[in-house]
Amino acid sequence: MSEMIEFLKGYEDYFGDWVWEMLIASLVTMELMLLSFILACALGLVIALMRISQFSVLSGLTKVYIGFFRGVPVLVILYWIYFAMPELGYKILLISSFTAAVLGLGIHGSAFLAEVFRSGIEALDHGQMEAALSLGMTPSQALRFIILPQAARVVLPPMANYSVGLLKETALCSIIAVPELMLRAKDVASSSFLPMHAFVLAAVFYYIMSFPMMRLAEHLEAKMAVGR
Amino acid sequence: MEFFDKLWEWAPEVFPFLIKASVVTLQVTAGSLALALVLGIFVAVARISSFKLLSYPALIYTDVMRGTPALVQLFIIYFGLSDLGLEFDPISAAIIGLGLNGAAYVGEIYRAGIVAIHRGQIEAALSLGMTPVRAMRYIILPQAVRIVLPPLTNYAILLVKDTAIISTIAAPEVMFEARRIVQATFMHSVSGQIYLMAALIYMAITLPMSYVAKRLERAKAAWH
Repeated sequence: MSEMIEFLKGYEDYFGDWVWEMLIASLVTMELMLLSFILACALGLVIALMRISQFSVLSGLTKVYIGFFRGVPVLVILYWIYFAMPELGYKILLISSFTAAVLGLGIHGSAFLAEVFRSGIEALDHGQMEAALSLGMTPSQALRFIILPQAARVVLPPMANYSVGLLKETALCSIIAVPELMLRAKDVASSSFLPMHAFVLAAVFYYIMSFPMMRLAEHLEAKMAVGR
Repeated sequence: MEFFDKLWEWAPEVFPFLIKASVVTLQVTAGSLALALVLGIFVAVARISSFKLLSYPALIYTDVMRGTPALVQLFIIYFGLSDLGLEFDPISAAIIGLGLNGAAYVGEIYRAGIVAIHRGQIEAALSLGMTPVRAMRYIILPQAVRIVLPPLTNYAILLVKDTAIISTIAAPEVMFEARRIVQATFMHSVSGQIYLMAALIYMAITLPMSYVAKRLERAKAAWH
């Protein structure tokens, strides 16, 4: 118990500054997470629709895309976009670390979500599509009004789970110098020589951010289970 | 295409280093997986226990491990604990960190597996005169193993990819080695090719695992 107090004493000089700095960095983290999530969803949906397309070229290409980006760590993708792409002569891609992070996390997430969306769509009764088409709807109308709304129910729990994982992946972006929470924690840790205190505080911030999403994911999973 | 020309040009020199580094990747994966599989049992049992003294700490542990980034946990173990006097070499820290993190996930997988087995199975086995050990061995565990094996293989695949983060604490695995090669030789112009090679190595490990995982899922679905 006295060790706990000793430990907490270490925060004395720094707590105020740290909390404030980490709070601001957390905003960047959440911004990063939000943008990557949107990109991953939008791109993932497109990829999923291509994957289930009848054109074998599209479905084959996206199968490779999904297999590749799900089989490599996020870090490799981040490195590639931030460090490697500028070297390859794509000078327009001398992008900021933040943009690289959004692209990296978004592309990695799109591969994951594409599979989620695909199984969500395929889990639906085939009869839905048939009935829609026989009622005279065009395939895209059927998709828009019948298939996707029903598939949305199925994919919400995995999406909520994905968002929790995404929040934690933003910590990796510190490695490509995105000014988010983990980078701030590292800075603070090295300038104060108190790594334990800094990272524990950062962990608290992450936990606070992920808490609502974890509860939402649990809630959605429970709701889905009832519908069986 | 110039990109691929450079790739073939450098691959023979770079690949051996990366393959050697992938041994570390596999070691850390195996070590932390083993740790997670064992600790996960305790976490799961504690979670479903009726003793609040066991289930609450287990719940908090699981929630914290799953709610904070593995990178933060790793840094706490490697940098934080060394500040407090307890030092680890990078690989040990990696195995401990990923293992503790994994115990939470694996614990949840085990818990779902235990809960999924109909209580009636246990009751029926015991009422047939089986001892608890026999009931475990012939009735419960075979069913439980079938249920948890697919999520566990999925987790193992995630774990292989997660080992990339230990490059940040200077563990000599694939990403670390790739970055080291790029920086040490100033070959920034071929960093794209080098990181692509690193990606291919990860795929060489995860693709077979995914194949096995899919086969297991199909076997499990067929069994139902």
